[in-house]
Amino acid sequence: MVRRIVLATIFAILAYGFWISPDFKTISAGVAVFLFGMLSLEEGFRAFTGGVLEQLLRRTTDRLWKSLVFGVVSTTLMQSSSLVSVITISFLSAGLLDLAAGIGIIFGANLGTTTGAWLVAGLGLKVDIAAYAMPMLVFGVILVFQKAKPLKGAGYILAGLGFLFLGIAFMKDGFEAFKETLDLSQFALPGLVGLLVYTLVGILATVVMQSSHATLVITITALAAGQVTYENALALAIGSNVGTTITAILGALSANVEGKRLAGAHLLFNVTTGLLAIVLIGPFAAAVDAISAGIGIADDDYTLKLAVFHTLFNLVGIAVMLPLLGRLVQALEHLLRAKAKHISEPRHLTDSARDFPDTAVEAVRKETLHIYENSRDVIAAGLYLRPSDLASDMPLDEIVSAPVHGNPPDIQEAYETRVKPLYNAVVAFISQSASGWGQRQMADLHWLRNANRNLVEAIKATKHLQKNLAVYVRSDNPYIRDEYNRLRMQVATVLRALEQARSDDEDADVAILALDGIRAALERGDEAFTDRLYGLIRERRITPQMGTSLMNDTGYAHDIQRDLIAMAQTLFAGPEHELAPAQRKLQLDEDEIAEALDKSRAIIEPEKPSGDAHGA
Amino acid sequence: MKTRKLLDKLMTYLDSDARQRKQERDEIKAVLKKLKRREKKLRNRLEEEDDDDKRRALEKEVDIVYAQRKKGVRLLKEE
Repeated sequence: MVRRIVLATIFAILAYGFWISPDFKTISAGVAVFLFGMLSLEEGFRAFTGGVLEQLLRRTTDRLWKSLVFGVVSTTLMQSSSLVSVITISFLSAGLLDLAAGIGIIFGANLGTTTGAWLVAGLGLKVDIAAYAMPMLVFGVILVFQKAKPLKGAGYILAGLGFLFLGIAFMKDGFEAFKETLDLSQFALPGLVGLLVYTLVGILATVVMQSSHATLVITITALAAGQVTYENALALAIGSNVGTTITAILGALSANVEGKRLAGAHLLFNVTTGLLAIVLIGPFAAAVDAISAGIGIADDDYTLKLAVFHTLFNLVGIAVMLPLLGRLVQALEHLLRAKAKHISEPRHLTDSARDFPDTAVEAVRKETLHIYENSRDVIAAGLYLRPSDLASDMPLDEIVSAPVHGNPPDIQEAYETRVKPLYNAVVAFISQSASGWGQRQMADLHWLRNANRNLVEAIKATKHLQKNLAVYVRSDNPYIRDEYNRLRMQVATVLRALEQARSDDEDADVAILALDGIRAALERGDEAFTDRLYGLIRERRITPQMGTSLMNDTGYAHDIQRDLIAMAQTLFAGPEHELAPAQRKLQLDEDEIAEALDKSRAIIEPEKPSGDAHGA
Repeated sequence: MKTRKLLDKLMTYLDSDARQRKQERDEIKAVLKKLKRREKKLRNRLEEEDDDDKRRALEKEVDIVYAQRKKGVRLLKEE
């Protein structure tokens, strides 16, 4: 809500500004084109991730000085410290970097971003860069249309640079024309008040535009046009340096704790550097004058002097912060602690259980039941079903037809934390215990191993099924939504039947046998499915693409059911149910199921010949 | 006759194979009883059900339970 109000306010202010001043429109268009150029650059560099960039990163960040140099060089090339910091956060989150190396890159990026000021002040304002922008855009866009990923990426980078240059040219033109109609320099504020106010303006501008570079370019172009004083421009540069951390903070919101620590380091570094620059603005200004005189910058060339200042205070910041790097890492690790991941631990695989074959088998069986409980929850959540609903008396069609909310759960993560650790423990336990066991125990273990594998396979199939299901259960097309809800219904039926088979109620023993009925339906396939599917495609209710997805996903749904039933008929027929051997004897094999169903078909549909009716 | 019956019982008790067979028969009988009850429940539900799809599913379930019972009875007769 607040975001919407802010957005509406910004739109209103901009619209009013465009109405009263065409020059303001030109400057704003320049900023927009510039930011679009940055987006395009980001898109271009993304094309090179997934190989080259990762390798480069690994090799160039194994020492602190290398990380620093990497930060400087990559930011100079990409002309965006925000982009480098966001990429660094993502690499840190992926575990490709450690925190110290990440901080090194961020420090380097702060220095690298100052090259932007040099570029604009030294080149952009003196050369007609729009002339360079045009061919870059043309070549870039042609490359963007190419199919090959590297060419496409290069196209985005070239077009991005073209847009950056074009944006700068627009801003330059706008400020020059603006000078003739309105003198912004009358708002100049001298002294400490000016320093603080303009620092704040710099922070706000950078937060709004999400780019310190853009703020700096506006500042330099405005400075060149005499619209801001040199003194206030220095404050804007300081503000832009602090404000740029907002992108990293936003990027870290979705990152893990490592990413958050890095964003914390970024904020700390830039705020400290900013404070240093504010407190020591006098000595800094004097040093800038001295350095400028030393390297031959004219005394009134304020834009280049601003570039010197920007580089200088970032260099000082690095010099001050680098010796404190170790402590900074420690403090961040202390302040931002990793939230302990809930990883399931085995409950029954104790050392004492290993002493006797029978107790060991029973321990494995109980642990497999534990794995089943976790797997059931993972599968149910993956299909947007609540285990508590499945355990209740609520009709399944009511559960399935309820609207689906929320993001799809991460099945891989759930598997890694709730199932795999237990599965690993079972495998380790069996491998350490199995020597000297009798034939009966070995046979039991064989079935239990199969049950475990069935569960893992069922989760794998759920993961595959979820990809399309997550999209189609929210689809506006009621036909495809219904079909996917049917799949959810089928799995929900099995999950509920399994729970019934496990419960202590009177019919629990025969409930395992009842799974034969579901297995039968699966083996024979859903006859109506194929007819319905082709009918839907023929009547253009669903696209052929939806149809093929549905066919594949029906296969996955059947796999889940088959695996769960196979698991249950092994795992649930254990010592807790005394009639297990008798149950196994009464279980129907495939021929017997076929015979029973053929009879049923003959009664229900006497006119229809029987045949293979596998849907998917 | 009574002594003969007692002797049979004693022999069965001493013969572990036979004892095991008897236990299995008892177990099957117990499951069959439950299956019969389940079949009856399913048939009652079938009578009350109006939805064609659900009726078909229930009919299939009844046939499966019936086939399981038939198998159980056959097993009992074989032993």
